[in-house]
Amino acid sequence: MISNIMTMVRKELIDAARDKRSVMAGLYYAIGTPLLMCGMFMLLIGQISSPEDLNIKIENGERAPDLVKYLSSQGITHGDEQDKSLDVKDIRLIFSDDYAAQMAKGLSAEVTLVADNSNEKLQNSIRRLEKNLQTYSAEMGSLRLIARGIDPRVVQPIKVNVEDQATPDSKGGVILGVATMTMIYAVFISGMNLAIDTSAGERERNSLALLLSHPVSTRNIVLAKVLAVTIFAMLGLLLTLIISKLSYSFVPWQELGFTVSISTNFILLMLLIGLPIAIMAASLQLFVSFMAKTFKEAQSYLTLVLIVPMMLSMAASYNIAPDTLQWLPVSGQQQALIAFIKGREIPMLQLLLSSMTTLVIALGLTFAMEKSLKSEKIVFGL
Amino acid sequence: MIKVANLSKRIGEVQALDDLSFIAKDGQITGLLGPNGAGKTTCLRTVFGLLQADMGSAEIDGIDVAKSPIEAKQQLGLFPDPFGLYERLSPREYVSYFAELNGLSRVDAKAATAKVLSQLHMDDIADRRCKGFSQGQRMKTALAQAIVHQPTNIILDEPTRGLDVMSTRVLRDLLKELKAHGHCVLFSSHVMQEVAALCDQVIVMAQGKVVAVGSPDELCEQTGKDSLEDAFIHLIGTDEGIAA
Repeated sequence: MISNIMTMVRKELIDAARDKRSVMAGLYYAIGTPLLMCGMFMLLIGQISSPEDLNIKIENGERAPDLVKYLSSQGITHGDEQDKSLDVKDIRLIFSDDYAAQMAKGLSAEVTLVADNSNEKLQNSIRRLEKNLQTYSAEMGSLRLIARGIDPRVVQPIKVNVEDQATPDSKGGVILGVATMTMIYAVFISGMNLAIDTSAGERERNSLALLLSHPVSTRNIVLAKVLAVTIFAMLGLLLTLIISKLSYSFVPWQELGFTVSISTNFILLMLLIGLPIAIMAASLQLFVSFMAKTFKEAQSYLTLVLIVPMMLSMAASYNIAPDTLQWLPVSGQQQALIAFIKGREIPMLQLLLSSMTTLVIALGLTFAMEKSLKSEKIVFGL
Repeated sequence: MIKVANLSKRIGEVQALDDLSFIAKDGQITGLLGPNGAGKTTCLRTVFGLLQADMGSAEIDGIDVAKSPIEAKQQLGLFPDPFGLYERLSPREYVSYFAELNGLSRVDAKAATAKVLSQLHMDDIADRRCKGFSQGQRMKTALAQAIVHQPTNIILDEPTRGLDVMSTRVLRDLLKELKAHGHCVLFSSHVMQEVAALCDQVIVMAQGKVVAVGSPDELCEQTGKDSLEDAFIHLIGTDEGIAA
């Protein structure tokens, strides 16, 4: 009977909405994760995009005005230590007394770079400074050769050309993978507490036996529980998407050359794709929780079980797994979502197949649950 | 009417029910009396289909519980032990929920709930959440749940356990009223006074078997004892596990 399923779903949702633990579990994730992600992306983008000015201590700079000018054009300048607002790196560049004279004579002019090479944090800055000094040196060398009528190419037997094939899209692959993974994961996290509460929790409170003694089929009870948890999970997903849409707009994506914009179309697609995953998550969590004897036990089992979708999703975003993985639940759908954000064509066959597999797993778990609820051991937790 | 025929059930190493047969008639209060561990709860759980018997059958109004559980249970109200309340729902929501599960429409369920709540004088707590209820308030909520859909048969598992005098009286009056309206009331107990005061028929159980059947007076007569308590001890052969 459909009507008693609806009665049960309504009751489960009222019950869940009043359960602070269930609601907070969903809310923390839905609100917290997109914000955390944003923070992380901002940091990440700050690191990969154009480097900041490098402030070092340049001593006797007046002896080499040309080199100082060159360095400052590369963003490396002398920073006054008194100025607290500047982050002056502990690197010293000292020009020798005879720098200008040596330079004028066309001999090697001495420059001393003083820095702690074991300091990890300084490594990048030191390398940057060294690279710039070498470039300047090579340029001066070339000029000296030209002045003597020699083609500078003589001293450059090999010319290395580096072609970076990375497109802005592929650079963003990992970021996109992580972003979609956290959204898909919302489906698993948001309904989890309710799933435990309505199964292991219900038995712990002795209401499971009472419910089963009423004229309701076990199948309807299981369906109602799966439906209720699914609804909760989908609400969690919707909230995650809305928060993501709002917060992702604050991330300076343009510095990466691509944008992760949560468009309305993307939200609709995510909800559509997320539904089978939510159903599977609900039946998986309920099934595992019914197997556990207590609320606590169910929690620890589920924490372990939830690693599986996480792994699938990770494998999809880092391209570390074989192609077959694209056909599996969770990873298959995630690939499709990433393709959509990148503006590529969605691999329909893969998406359909992985969604079907997802639903088949959900159905199998639901039947298994129906069967287990007819077992005295499960009902009374013997 | 509840009819149990040749019921046998083994749980682990224990023969919990051993060829148990009895009939609880409509318009009567039948008490299932036995010491702790006699198999009372197992018997009741089998009647409402939570446990499957190894042998024998349980019928409610002539419908076999094992064969058509849903139809059989439609004529059954259950007062379980423990109660199994939903702490986050109010009695009104709780009772109405189970009324709907028993086939009442939403509107009917609400009306029936309102009626049973006022019948049990629960109007003051009807819209409070069950969390923090006293044992008496919990008992009333569970009782309202059991009778809200007006089932012909009502089964109560150890209904007076942990109740104070006032709550016990509420319960006793209600059971008498149900009997007067022609319902079949079956309850398990190990409390003598309660059984003696209420029951038309007493089924004395020990080690999963029926030891004797009859009204409290008949049982006294059969055993030649003055009180039901003495008769009971005589029947089961020991005074272990009995509350006076």
